[in-house]
Amino acid sequence: MFEHVLSVIIFLPILAGLLLLVTPASRTIARVSGLIISLATLVLSLDLYANFSATGHLEFVEYIPWIQSLGVSYHLGIDGISLFILMAGSVLLPMVYLVFTTKEKGYYANLLIVQGAMAGAVCAADMILFYVFWEVMLLPVFFMLGLYGGPKRLPATLKITLYTIAGSLLMLAAIVYLGVSYHAQFNEWNFAISKMAQLNLTGRVAAVAFFGFMIAFAIKIPLFPFHTWLPDAYTEAPTATTFVLSAIMAKIGVYGVIRFVVPVFDEQFARFAILLAYSGVIGMMYCGLAAIAQKDFKRMLAFSSASHMGIIALGVFCMNMQALTGTIYQIVAHATSTGVLFLFAGILEDRTNTRTIDDLGGIAAKAPVFALFFAIAMLASVGLPGTSGFIGEFMIILGAIKFNTVIGVLAGTSLIIGVCYMLWMFQRVFFEKSNANSENFKDLSLVEGLTFLPVIILIIVMGIYPQPFLSKITPSVALQFSQNPPVIAQTVTTNALLPELTIEQK
Amino acid sequence: MIHNYLFLSIILFCLGIVGVISRRNVFTVFMSIELMLNAANLAFIAFSRVHQNMDGHVLAMMVMAVAAAEAALALAVVILLHKHKSKLDTNVFSLLKG
Amino acid sequence: MGQSVNYLGLIPLFPLLGSVLIGLIHVFAGKKFRISEKFYGILACVGPVLSFILALKTFVALKALAPESRFLCHKAFTWFSVGELHIDMGFLADPLSCLMLLFVTFIGSLIHIYSIGYMGGDKNYGKFFSYMNLFLGAMLVLVLGDSPVVMFVGWEGVGLCSYLLISFYSEDRSNVLAGNKAFIVNRIGDLGFVLGMAFLFWGIGASGFDFLSLKAHSGNLTPAIALTVCLLLFVGATGKSAQIPLYVWLPDAMAGPTPVSALIHAATMVTAGVYMVARFSFIYANVELAGNIIAWVGILTALLAAIFGMFQDDIKKVLAYSTVSQLGYMFAGVGVAAYSAGIFHVFTHAFFKALLFLGAGSVIYALHHQQNIWKMGGLKSKMPKTYFTMVIGALALSGCPPFSGFFSKDEILYSALATGHYGIWMVGVLVAGMTAYYTFRMIFVVFHGTPRDQHAFDHAKESPAVMTVPLIILAVGALFAGFLNLPAIFGGSQMVTHWLAPSLTEHHPHASLFIEIIAIGASVAAFVIGIKIAYTKFGQGAPAPEFKGFAEFAYHKFYVDELYHAIIVQPYKAIGSIIWKTLEPNVTDSPVKAASKLYMAIGTAFKVFQVGYVRIYAIYMIVGLSLMSLFLSQSLN
Repeated sequence: MFEHVLSVIIFLPILAGLLLLVTPASRTIARVSGLIISLATLVLSLDLYANFSATGHLEFVEYIPWIQSLGVSYHLGIDGISLFILMAGSVLLPMVYLVFTTKEKGYYANLLIVQGAMAGAVCAADMILFYVFWEVMLLPVFFMLGLYGGPKRLPATLKITLYTIAGSLLMLAAIVYLGVSYHAQFNEWNFAISKMAQLNLTGRVAAVAFFGFMIAFAIKIPLFPFHTWLPDAYTEAPTATTFVLSAIMAKIGVYGVIRFVVPVFDEQFARFAILLAYSGVIGMMYCGLAAIAQKDFKRMLAFSSASHMGIIALGVFCMNMQALTGTIYQIVAHATSTGVLFLFAGILEDRTNTRTIDDLGGIAAKAPVFALFFAIAMLASVGLPGTSGFIGEFMIILGAIKFNTVIGVLAGTSLIIGVCYMLWMFQRVFFEKSNANSENFKDLSLVEGLTFLPVIILIIVMGIYPQPFLSKITPSVALQFSQNPPVIAQTVTTNALLPELTIEQK
Repeated sequence: MIHNYLFLSIILFCLGIVGVISRRNVFTVFMSIELMLNAANLAFIAFSRVHQNMDGHVLAMMVMAVAAAEAALALAVVILLHKHKSKLDTNVFSLLKG
Repeated sequence: MGQSVNYLGLIPLFPLLGSVLIGLIHVFAGKKFRISEKFYGILACVGPVLSFILALKTFVALKALAPESRFLCHKAFTWFSVGELHIDMGFLADPLSCLMLLFVTFIGSLIHIYSIGYMGGDKNYGKFFSYMNLFLGAMLVLVLGDSPVVMFVGWEGVGLCSYLLISFYSEDRSNVLAGNKAFIVNRIGDLGFVLGMAFLFWGIGASGFDFLSLKAHSGNLTPAIALTVCLLLFVGATGKSAQIPLYVWLPDAMAGPTPVSALIHAATMVTAGVYMVARFSFIYANVELAGNIIAWVGILTALLAAIFGMFQDDIKKVLAYSTVSQLGYMFAGVGVAAYSAGIFHVFTHAFFKALLFLGAGSVIYALHHQQNIWKMGGLKSKMPKTYFTMVIGALALSGCPPFSGFFSKDEILYSALATGHYGIWMVGVLVAGMTAYYTFRMIFVVFHGTPRDQHAFDHAKESPAVMTVPLIILAVGALFAGFLNLPAIFGGSQMVTHWLAPSLTEHHPHASLFIEIIAIGASVAAFVIGIKIAYTKFGQGAPAPEFKGFAEFAYHKFYVDELYHAIIVQPYKAIGSIIWKTLEPNVTDSPVKAASKLYMAIGTAFKVFQVGYVRIYAIYMIVGLSLMSLFLSQSLN
């Protein structure tokens, strides 16, 4: 393990992507080099994971002053929370190069850039640095969506651009506000995230800054009612982009809330947590119900993903250890299950040239391996015990019940809502009789099968033996709560509606 | 003394403005611009004389050099415009209309 | 804490490994190498049989211990541990789970053997056995789980297998819809289970969330939370065990192959709810209100299902409703805090109901998948083994002394009477009579009288030994299982009740001999009346009846399915499409649309300045420069 491993994980893909853009490389070269780079990143990340010692604090820290007069630094580091989002990206992205083999050069180049930028956003320990990576991360998405998307890509691109630019600007304003407040209170310029927790923020301006951050992340997650860009963008984007958006980028929104909003704006967060929690739960139900009305399986998966993100975000707002750990675990679980489902949807679309659920049928009989893999990913996505989806969902519901009974019960309905549309889709696509579209459906090739196999195994292993993963998360989560005792103290009182069911802290 | 020179310069400049705004022939517009540049040159020279140094002269020479270069470019543009639409009426070229 | 033994974890592991192995062979090698059915069959039976042997070993080990300390446990590994939440992947064998273990593995093994014959020739032979083994593994996890969460793994696992096996003939849409219905309805119950676990955890789970710790701390629960936990867990039980209002999935579940109906939807999975309530008896015993609710829901379900059962014309549907009805009895039993009686009925029911289903399967197999009883008749002579074993099963189901069903059902009714639940007792006796009626209606119509479909009758023949031998074994069980818990009045010593005592928190009611005799007398009278009516109507053969008035209403199952469809399914879909078609484009999306419209409006407004003529731009420039100069000169002064 060498010293600047995080920098390499971040900049290797970015540089490779830029290099591909400026050179007249062919498609094959672009794909192969993308694959090699992402595999190299994967190897580095696995090494990183093995050497991660779960102290709870930032590890693998790199610190180089950048703009000294403003206290901005090139400051990287990962803890148990960011590690898993980084790993999700590193593990999942190589699959894209193996599954989708005939795309433009720019497509692969953009993928590489977005991979590096996402790693950067997750590793950044300085707010300005985070903002820079955040913006760099969004740019390739616009290009991939606008250049390589489906027929209605332009309105979708316009929508996602409007949303994310608005969010980014709000966040920039809030970051500046934090920097200025820090200067006012401690008489020095600093943008390190760890320092911001010392700030004492009160008053209306702080609340505005809180919402500035919150809306930026809520758009990315997406949290109800900021989700309307999602169905269009996810549906029109090429599969790999949808995959990146849903599997990793949405999680960085949640990560942002955990990393910036919760420690820095602890007072405001505790005050508005109930509102945000309702937003998460309502979003889950709203998108879950909308999913049942979809005729296009990619759009249905898009709504399903938005629905799950509502529950994942809820775990953060419940402000207890089980729910937060559940959220981080669910982030990985959802990245693997929904990410893989989107890739499968891409394969379905490639092979049948349709995205309409009713046009398909009987694929289980034609392609048993594909059906088996799809079923496992689907079951993980509906949270069946024994798959990765259950552990996180269970802990989030557990935490939500403690936070507020009504929210807990509403969160529980995700058990039912998710299974309705998934089973309905599975029945129409995989069961029943085959028709003209699915008659000649080819099963997964050997390469495809071997590509998905590790992730499918991971889904099951994470469901049966999650403790090794959790033991890397829990120290960081515990630290998060030890820093903010007032937040926990306030949570117990939110259960005003059903006081007799309020569970006292023992 | 200086006032007379400046009044002349202003009159020339205003003539140039009126020319640019009111005339539609590209050449007339171009000549009006030259007129405005020379009005400015006259003011420079006058001030140079008043302040008893060479700065104004330097700037005037500079303007003339730029004007010459501009004339070369502008004539080339005019030829291209003529090739394109066979007309030298500025109202014909209104691609920027919103 | 009990003794730790390593082999407990192996009991569910064998079938699970078998499932994975068979599944992999089926998917990857099945088509290329033409694996023979015999190979699959033998492979499939290895797991269940090994589990049964280990279950026997567990039983022997438990038997050797003193009654109070009959606990064997095995912690395989820490499953997940976050803060005060600490959950081990642990297994617990106590008398209760051991009883379940024994009959689940025993009947499971028999049904696997039976399936070798029944499923012969199916193109998805390997898939079937993979699912069956997976089911058995999940069921054993459910039974052996040492904490509610591990139990929930099995709980959902059996639900999944139930879904997969109901929609096994997946080319037919109605089968898949039945599977979907089962899974979704079960999920509604599971929501109750999960929420119940959550409340239980925040109530007393912090000091250990396994059953033994929970039992030790159950006194710390506040009454409100205890009631909430009881009712929520019971919601879970109504889903899994098909009670009102979630019973609707079980009759539809008969779309699956008959061995599945026998194993999952009669003998094992559907009784999981009863098992769960008995498992949590340490909480339920303290909350009388919850017990009363359970008992009434149970007995009303029994009544409703018995009414439906009297008017069915599909042989499997008759049995399905009788299962729902018997499950209602079991809940009535555990509801009146007679946990051992409820579990004992689970035990005997497993034998005679599996027997009846397998017998029905044998008939269906002989008649080439004909399930309508009005197309059968007179099969007694053609299929003597099936006939005799099914009659034994029917007698046990109807509660004829001394068959097993009599003792277990009587135990429940007696407990209801002795604890003063007279209403429940009276409904129970009524249902007993109805049970006898519809069971023998089926037997008489199928086996007696003259053939209604001569062609099918001519081709019918007795099933092969691989199917009839399990029938005979189960018939022996259905005959004699009752004697294991012979009450004192017949000179027995209630072995099962005493065996279960260390696991359950129950108080045995002491009632006079008079009450006991009333209970037995009423049951026997109900049985005799029921069978008499059935014989007069159908004993000599009868044509397919026309249903009118109430009968027609009951034949259509009180239109409950249609009602649910109208008040739940349709609104659910309607809300979905309202959100998608109305709310999403017009409400939630409106800020974005408004933003883009705003930009458009501003752009249009400023468009007038863009005239396109160079001269006009020159004017703008001059005006602007003049204004700037004016401003500058003003500010300089």
